[in-house]
Amino acid sequence: MKKALTVLLIALIAMTSVFANGASESSEDGVTTLTLAFWDVSQNNYINEVIAAFEAANPDIKIELQDTPSTEYITKLNTQLNGGSDVDMFFVKEADKTKTFYDRGQLTDLTPYIEASGIDMADYNGTDANFIFDGKVYGMPVRTDQYVLFYNKDIFDAAGVPYPDNDMTWTEFEDLALQLTSGEGANKIYGAHFHSWNACVQNWGVQDGKHTIMSGEYSFFKPYYEMVLRMQEAGSCMDYGTIQGSGIGYTDVFARGQVAMLPMGSWLIQTMIQKNATGESTVNWGVAVIPHAEDVPNGYTVGATTPICINNASKNKDAAWRFVSFLAGPEGAQILAECGQVPALSGEEYLEAYAAADGMPDDILDGLYATHISPDRPAMDKVTEIDQMLLAEHQLILLGEETVDEGIANMNRNYAEIMAN
Amino acid sequence: MAEKTIAEKKASSLKRKNALIGYSFIAPNFIGFAIFILFPVLFTLVLSVMDWDGFNAMTFAGLANFKSIFRDRVFKSSFWLTLLYVVCTVVLTLLASLGLACALNKKIKGRDAFRAAIFFPYVASMIAIGAVWKQLFEANNGPINHLLRSIGISNPPGWFASTDWAIYGVIIVAIWKFMGYYMLIYLAGLQDIPAQLYEAATLDGATGWQRFMKITLPMLTPSTFFVFIMLTINSFKSFDLIYALTQGGPGTSTTLLSNYIYNQTFVYWDYGKSAAASIILFIIVLAVTIVQFRGEKKFTDYL
Amino acid sequence: MMIEKRNPVKTVLIYVLLIVLTVVTLLPLVWMLSASFKLSTEVFTFPIKWIPETFHWENYVTIWQKINLATYTFNSFKLSIIITLIQLATSSFAAYGFSKCKFPGRNALFLAYIATIAIPWQVYMLPQYIMMQKMHLIDTHLAIILLQSFTAFGVFLLRQFYISIPDELLEAARIDGLSEYGTFARIVLPLTKPAMATLIIMSFVTVWNDYMGPMIYFNSDRNKTIQLGIQMFTGIYSTEYGLIMATSVLAIIPVLVVFLAFQRFFVEGIASSGLKG
Repeated sequence: MKKALTVLLIALIAMTSVFANGASESSEDGVTTLTLAFWDVSQNNYINEVIAAFEAANPDIKIELQDTPSTEYITKLNTQLNGGSDVDMFFVKEADKTKTFYDRGQLTDLTPYIEASGIDMADYNGTDANFIFDGKVYGMPVRTDQYVLFYNKDIFDAAGVPYPDNDMTWTEFEDLALQLTSGEGANKIYGAHFHSWNACVQNWGVQDGKHTIMSGEYSFFKPYYEMVLRMQEAGSCMDYGTIQGSGIGYTDVFARGQVAMLPMGSWLIQTMIQKNATGESTVNWGVAVIPHAEDVPNGYTVGATTPICINNASKNKDAAWRFVSFLAGPEGAQILAECGQVPALSGEEYLEAYAAADGMPDDILDGLYATHISPDRPAMDKVTEIDQMLLAEHQLILLGEETVDEGIANMNRNYAEIMAN
Repeated sequence: MAEKTIAEKKASSLKRKNALIGYSFIAPNFIGFAIFILFPVLFTLVLSVMDWDGFNAMTFAGLANFKSIFRDRVFKSSFWLTLLYVVCTVVLTLLASLGLACALNKKIKGRDAFRAAIFFPYVASMIAIGAVWKQLFEANNGPINHLLRSIGISNPPGWFASTDWAIYGVIIVAIWKFMGYYMLIYLAGLQDIPAQLYEAATLDGATGWQRFMKITLPMLTPSTFFVFIMLTINSFKSFDLIYALTQGGPGTSTTLLSNYIYNQTFVYWDYGKSAAASIILFIIVLAVTIVQFRGEKKFTDYL
Repeated sequence: MMIEKRNPVKTVLIYVLLIVLTVVTLLPLVWMLSASFKLSTEVFTFPIKWIPETFHWENYVTIWQKINLATYTFNSFKLSIIITLIQLATSSFAAYGFSKCKFPGRNALFLAYIATIAIPWQVYMLPQYIMMQKMHLIDTHLAIILLQSFTAFGVFLLRQFYISIPDELLEAARIDGLSEYGTFARIVLPLTKPAMATLIIMSFVTVWNDYMGPMIYFNSDRNKTIQLGIQMFTGIYSTEYGLIMATSVLAIIPVLVVFLAFQRFFVEGIASSGLKG
């Protein structure tokens, strides 16, 4: 019996491996096929444009996109890398995860390629800082996003209030929100909207460049929680219970014209352009610099840079580098800008192309003014656990289940526990 | 060893032959099961005492993973929440599915439609269901609280926006989703009960309720065993539903053991801790199963 | 045979109860249907509009254009049917072994089956993935077929039904000269049609609705399934709820057809005629 089982087992394994050999990629007729992991391709058209341009210039390389829904992108990528997949290139959606991949030895050191290609990393304006480990570069910065203030021009016009100027404090913001609030029930217009993420309150504490979500002592969040609670009380922003409990999306409320001001990441710019182009939204919108505290200089904001990395298990590293340098280089930056994405590569010409993209508000470059961009999540150990913990307390504070002081005390205690465990 | 008699030899060779036949029945399934499921599961047992980043070589960690989760505030709260969730869901779903199966086993008009309607929730995709129920349960404007207010409850629960009520919201949706599924098993089980039993009981003057208690319920023991075990296990593992409804919030008020395990695996990438937490889950389920197994044995002996 | 008279009040009460319950059960699905005709910006408005102001029929056209829904549907059918068939065949064999044959280690093996159900899938996903990677089966349908065809669920389910078949019935067949395999095929299989129907429905639904498995294992568009298609409308920046609902409504139909086709085996035959109260 045992013998029979063993024979069967071997036969089965042999069969499956024979069955599978059809799935090999690589060079036929001198064409190398590279795989690139990416998310939500349909919402990020720029990647197809870059690939088309690259393939036209490099007929010996074909890029195959592996599209995963954004919510599971990192999960799948992590599984693939741990499982020994030879996917050639990937974006790191939550940039702080780059460090974990580096720690496991799953990233290719790009420094020799960068030197050989003669790329000056200074052109990336410091956006590569999160991807340098032990003095070596492991990821090329592709696009940057920063928090800005979206506003609905129609609501401002109707209220006879001038548009937000590009230098506003959070106190002024709060007053303005109250002025713009009107209506009741289904016709209610809220002066401001804070999405359910903890980032949408905690970022205003991190904005000063001195604190991060890994600070461990969180009393610097206090003024912002008090502000949002005051605004909920006054009705100038939506109740957290409604937003979180029913899963209301920030794009929907803004595109429906229900809110006057929305502090949000610059990624929303492209979505709003699309919504207006398809007629799903008729909102006349603009972008201003994010408000700041009295003691924080104007232009200080929070943001993130998305890098592209080469898998250390890739069999085609040289070819992969050709695509990576194309995407992160001038050609890629130009295409990104034209598609309404801010490239990480700095340069006037890209910003001009960006401002000229179809459907872009006229004064967009003034709104994107930034003198300092703090990373939303520093690349440190346990940052994900801390972030989840902060989210839990964030919910309790805004739902009124605990006071601001209790919430902050819990954050401090939980931080110490997590770091000690 | 003493010499075996011919009769004993014959008996033992018959036994061997019977055993071989038995093995041949389970082999086709067991081979696939052993390779693709049992082996990876056994790997998990090893993992619980290891320190592993998922990629490089693992190192022996002893009981460090277990110690670490027992120190974890979220694990402790998720453990008690899971017990509450499991007890409520198992008892209520079991009763609902049994009741529905009995009602929909009768010859009534539109029976197929009723059955399909009750089974429907199990079929609908999770992401759609999550969106729907979130809106129905919305605290201020949602239809459920509207209804509650209109019947005189001036301060209805906050449901998913309240740490006290969110878990009950999840339980309600879980019952709604799964009662049709278990009803199906009971329906199939009801077809196995010989009609003569009922006829005899009716002749003896037994009432409907007596027949249910004396015949239906005992005869459904194998189905109940299955429903109970599967319900318990699935409630302990219940993950998709909470992920779609509350993602464990507000705070950690709906973070169950399965969400904890999910987070350890897929969010924090701590394979040792997730394995250790699932071993604990496993021990609980095993204990419940063995107790049930005993009960079932009594039933088969009685047959 | 004795036939009881139905109590009309009781009958009406049962109907009312059933109808109320059905309406409550179906309400969320009505919402789903209504949302499938809305723009995604209209989905989350209060008060809920049960009947859309304007019907956006084009949602049902758009979903075929935006994603390869035809391919995904085909793949979902392919996987669901193949896995259900393998499960049905191998599980019924194994269940017979576990309930009606005697061999050493039977109970221990069966406990091992149940025990694996208790371990959350996420925890052993990585070892499975590594195994599939070594077999070069990533991004093939075979990977999911192998991983999902031999689950303990089917064996457990069928064993529970085989147990209640009286041993005397099998003994009689054996005395009539039927081999063990013949007994299984001629006696047990015909007697357990409702159980088989249950397994078919459940296995089909499980595979059809599985999201994480295909998400992890399938990379190319040509391999993806309908649940992955639904998820494609949720994005990091905005979620197309109108399209999600439309695809979800379509995805329900095949499962309902399977359900209606196989639930006919739960007919009130002789077995339960006495249940009427």
